[in-house]
Amino acid sequence: MIIVALLILLGLFVVFMGTFIVDIIKRIHSEKKYHVREIITGYMLLIPAVVLAFFFVVLPIFFSLGYAFTDFDLLHPNLSDIHYIGFENFIALIEEFKNHGEIYYSLRNTALFVVLVVPLQIGMALLLALFCNNKRPGTTIFKICFFAPVAISLSVTAFLWLVILSPNPNGIMNAILGNFGIDAQDFLGNKDTVILWMVVISAWQGCGYQMLIFLSALGNVRKDLYEAARVDGANVFQRFFTVTVPGLRPTFLYILITVFIGACRVMIQPMLLTGYQDRSMTLSYYIYTQGFTYRHVGYSCAVALMMTIIMGTITFVQRKLLGEKKK
Amino acid sequence: MTNRDLMRLEPNFTPCKKSTKKIVFSIIYYVIGATISLFFILPLLYMIAASTKSEQSIAFSNGTIMMFIPDFTDLGHFFTNYRVIFGDYDIWKYAINSLIYAAIVIVFNVIVNGLAGYVLAKFDFPAKGFFNFIILFLIVVPVETSIIPLYSIAKQMLGLRNNLSILAVILPSVISVFNIFLFTQFFSSIPKEYEEAMHIDGSSRVRIFFDLILPLSKPIVATTMVFTFIGVWNDYVWPMMVLPNTGDDSWPLYPIQAALTSIQSIEGITTGEIMASLVVTSLPIFVLYAAAQKYIVKGFGTAGLKM
Repeated sequence: MIIVALLILLGLFVVFMGTFIVDIIKRIHSEKKYHVREIITGYMLLIPAVVLAFFFVVLPIFFSLGYAFTDFDLLHPNLSDIHYIGFENFIALIEEFKNHGEIYYSLRNTALFVVLVVPLQIGMALLLALFCNNKRPGTTIFKICFFAPVAISLSVTAFLWLVILSPNPNGIMNAILGNFGIDAQDFLGNKDTVILWMVVISAWQGCGYQMLIFLSALGNVRKDLYEAARVDGANVFQRFFTVTVPGLRPTFLYILITVFIGACRVMIQPMLLTGYQDRSMTLSYYIYTQGFTYRHVGYSCAVALMMTIIMGTITFVQRKLLGEKKK
Repeated sequence: MTNRDLMRLEPNFTPCKKSTKKIVFSIIYYVIGATISLFFILPLLYMIAASTKSEQSIAFSNGTIMMFIPDFTDLGHFFTNYRVIFGDYDIWKYAINSLIYAAIVIVFNVIVNGLAGYVLAKFDFPAKGFFNFIILFLIVVPVETSIIPLYSIAKQMLGLRNNLSILAVILPSVISVFNIFLFTQFFSSIPKEYEEAMHIDGSSRVRIFFDLILPLSKPIVATTMVFTFIGVWNDYVWPMMVLPNTGDDSWPLYPIQAALTSIQSIEGITTGEIMASLVVTSLPIFVLYAAAQKYIVKGFGTAGLKM
């Protein structure tokens, strides 16, 4: 294990020094003027970032790729206990999916969560931004209210809603619904409603952040275009679709991608709201439990690799569909 | 005479019909705004109100409007929950842990990533494009891919049994590829002439970075610092993984979020005490957002630009 780490490190070090030497050589052979001193200082200043990134960003990714094809188990960390097992982890993963095992539920729940939360959160953020985007007195107070949940952390959110959604007939939500004659329910224990509540909680907590980004983008939409559209006789909706929507396009793409990636990674909500249950577990939580609690690092890395590929593909498609058209 | 004619004669004349319409619109606007605002802040109001109440008072007020209002009739109990979580559960110790971690991370984060961003923005060397490409690639890879291998690396390197394991909390947070990217973008917009002037005076590049580049980049530095602080303060899964858990209701190295989770599972904790601990955990972030508001809004503007 240590030897492998050192080998990879050595490899990366060689790459780093290699680029350095190539830079020096290029400097001699190119017409462009590079200063040797500048190159040396540059590399010196890069060293802290590069070393830390080696250890904590690049190395884990390499390891993750490698572990996915081994039976590495954290209980047996010696190099002699790690065996190359080819695609067995991926075969096990597909088997488990076919047999409706935990991976099936985690994939299904994550997909459901993403499909519901991405439009809801972005839609809410956009509506709130449009709502606040005027000069009336008091909009600042509205903005503060909408943004307030962003300031509380995910675990605080989870604990707060755990109390609000308590299955006890005297719990907050049940007591409120009780005023309208609705029977007490177990919101988070019911497999039909638990994902919906996770969606509501996430959108409630997150959309203020995207609202601020939308607001700052709305401020940048050119005012003269609105005037021009108004002169041309466009009504509110026409102005919205011909001026606002194109103006928001880059921001929208940025928000879509960040919210999508964030939603795919949902883990703390199911972890704290319900614990490890079929009805609410998600991919990240599954990866964490397999790798950390059960110590099946090899298998967990295989799932993570699969998740990365799925997320990467969808992000790529989003960028292709919505990105700036090259003219 | 129509409204239009009146307006021509008297520039300050506003048609009466339109003004009533406007007032009605305004009222509708504020009613809708207040309703949506309530949806966002009622849970938070409940959190604050319940943190001041005794268990009976909470149970009594549930389901009525009183649950969102602190109980002023029982002033003797007003701060009891806070006294318990500070006195018995020692929440301030964990808050101090978090503050120390955050302070160390913030300082090194700005220096390490700032220097890297400075080199990639202002230095001239052939492999620059290669490094920029690597950074863009690393931003896209999700954390989940690497958290378990990262844990195994930390375990091999540091053992994770003693106080050294705080390095496992601090070091990975110091490097942030996204911050390098942000810094590079921002530093590129600083005119080269400033730097050359200092260069001619004989200042070293490190000196230029600290005396010129950082002071000129206050908005981006402040934004990064605020978000780094929030990131460390709110980080929860990773510290729980790497810090030793002795299991006797005391976790001397835990940052506040991890301690918060552990405190919830203490036998006999009341709802009011839970709510008080949630308020204490959230308060610094509220204060920080309020204080750094100006910079954060500017930071939002730059965040959305490049993608």
